[in-house]
Amino acid sequence: MKLIAKYNRVNIPMTIAVLLISSIAYYFILHHVLLRQVDKDLRIEKQEIIHHIQINGSLPETSNYKDQQISFQPTNAASFKEKFSTQLVYNKNEDEEEPYRKIDFLVTQNGTNYIATVKKSEQETEDIVRLILMITFLVIAFLLLALFITNRFLLGKLWKPFNHTLNQLKQFNLSSKNDITLDSTNVDEFIELNDTAISLTQKVKSDYESLKSFTGNASHEIQTPLAIIKNKIELLSQSEHLEESQVKIIQSLNDAASRLSRLNQSLLLLTKIENRQFEDKEKINLSAVLEKRIENFQEPAVLKNITVEKNIVEGVSIQMNDSLADILLSNIILNAIKHNFPGGRIRIDLTENSLVVSNSGDEPKVKTIELFERFKKESTSPESLGLGLSIVKTICDSYGFDISYQYEPGYHILTVFLKN
Amino acid sequence: MKILIVEDETALSESIAEYLSKQEYHCDVAGNFHGAIEKIEYNDYDCILLDITLPDGDGLKILEQLKEDKKTDGVLIISAKNSLDDKIKGLDLGADDYLSKPFHLSELNARVAAIIRRKNFDGKSIIQFENLCIDTQKKSVTVEKTPVELTKKEYELLLYFVANKKRLLSKEAIAEHLWGNEMGGNFDFIYTHIKNLRKKLMDAGNADYIKSVYGMGYKFSSQ
Repeated sequence: MKLIAKYNRVNIPMTIAVLLISSIAYYFILHHVLLRQVDKDLRIEKQEIIHHIQINGSLPETSNYKDQQISFQPTNAASFKEKFSTQLVYNKNEDEEEPYRKIDFLVTQNGTNYIATVKKSEQETEDIVRLILMITFLVIAFLLLALFITNRFLLGKLWKPFNHTLNQLKQFNLSSKNDITLDSTNVDEFIELNDTAISLTQKVKSDYESLKSFTGNASHEIQTPLAIIKNKIELLSQSEHLEESQVKIIQSLNDAASRLSRLNQSLLLLTKIENRQFEDKEKINLSAVLEKRIENFQEPAVLKNITVEKNIVEGVSIQMNDSLADILLSNIILNAIKHNFPGGRIRIDLTENSLVVSNSGDEPKVKTIELFERFKKESTSPESLGLGLSIVKTICDSYGFDISYQYEPGYHILTVFLKN
Repeated sequence: MKILIVEDETALSESIAEYLSKQEYHCDVAGNFHGAIEKIEYNDYDCILLDITLPDGDGLKILEQLKEDKKTDGVLIISAKNSLDDKIKGLDLGADDYLSKPFHLSELNARVAAIIRRKNFDGKSIIQFENLCIDTQKKSVTVEKTPVELTKKEYELLLYFVANKKRLLSKEAIAEHLWGNEMGGNFDFIYTHIKNLRKKLMDAGNADYIKSVYGMGYKFSSQ
């Protein structure tokens, strides 16, 4: 749910409720005030009648106008308290009952007591109140309309810096050299957001950089002790009169050291690719490089009795570092050989747009997408470092090639979408 | 044959010296830049093994110094960096070859032998082992004047064996010599090449020089 929808969900009913409650209150207050006004008029009328009797010594004429009616009723009561009341009177002309405000009071004329009644129509008052209510409802309607229009047009504009920041964060790429660029804004909240986003991404980046340089430095530093270990093992293996059991130990040592060495070299390679330490010198003929790679790997393929089919469009050229192209293709082909059955098949298709390498093989135990992750591997054999496909992915990423790895019953299909 | 090892890691230079000394090379060791410059000035070496990352100076400067002095010592750069730039720079400055750490001593030895062979053209392009004769210029092999037809890989393999005769060569070292390190950790396919080479040599009248050692590797020896 959008923030604005959530906000409106509370805001609109609240606004309507407040307006309704206040208009009801308004109605009663107004009604009361207007009634007081009518009462005041009635009292003035009363004074005038009393005045009239005092001066003229006779009752004023009764009148029966629409808005004011005066009548007298003889009474025996000696005293009568002035009384205001509201009364509904049937109006023949309009065929409806209309409210009247009236005052009853005692007047004395020639020793006779009368109850004088002055009635005033409240119709006007009612009309005013009704008008006010109508205006109130119109205001509610107008307010809702204004709110809708504001949401529709103004909010989009208001949130623009936020959306821009969000987009920048979505596109944020750790390995790219560029920092995120954010629109300047004068909204305090967004300024704070942008500042935080910038400092956060910079922090993440510098942490990532130091992690990378750590990997690089560590791998470099490991090279020399590894070289010493390997060379000492080699010297040891040259000793005269070694027993078979000793040779076996030496071999295990050597295998472990070699594996460590290959691991280290692969990590160094990954770091170098990520640090973009390979220059793109010129366009290379990918078709020719691929043919050469396939030829290079013919022996391990033949040894495993694997049939290699190829369908290579000639003269596919691509802007790429030649060593990286070699490494990319070698890793892909080697992977297709390694994870194949003896007597299996490999099919290699190269077109201007894509390189597809498919090989027969067992269904992978992990999700194919995870095979691009470092140290995710299918086989448990010590030969496999679990870095081959990760190197492939890193090279592809650094050139903006998309890559996919699918498994269709019996076949692994690796596709590199070349982008020129 | 005199060799200078310029390497600041003592353990490493010791190993190299030990291996190469058994190949009847005389080895000098310099542990730093100044020691190396000094030794180069007063001696002529057949080959200099140069680690370019030295604590007190850039190893590449030694190459410049050699060029300045118009010396023709062969130079093999050893680097922990495995950087293409260093390699290109080193080769441009007159180095003969480049090897990155970690390396097999047998590989180093073969490279040194190749450098020395290239430096000495006076009839030394012929390598003789018992009745086996390799002409490294013509890249041809004969046994008692009978030519042996070898594939490129078999020829390289033989040269590698002869350079490291009487040494145990691990399958890994052989595989890396022939294919570089791009084959991953599987070295089974060297077996085919060794089998073929052995057969061709024996067919030509050679004794079986290639001996398997406890499944770990092979030794090229006449005994």
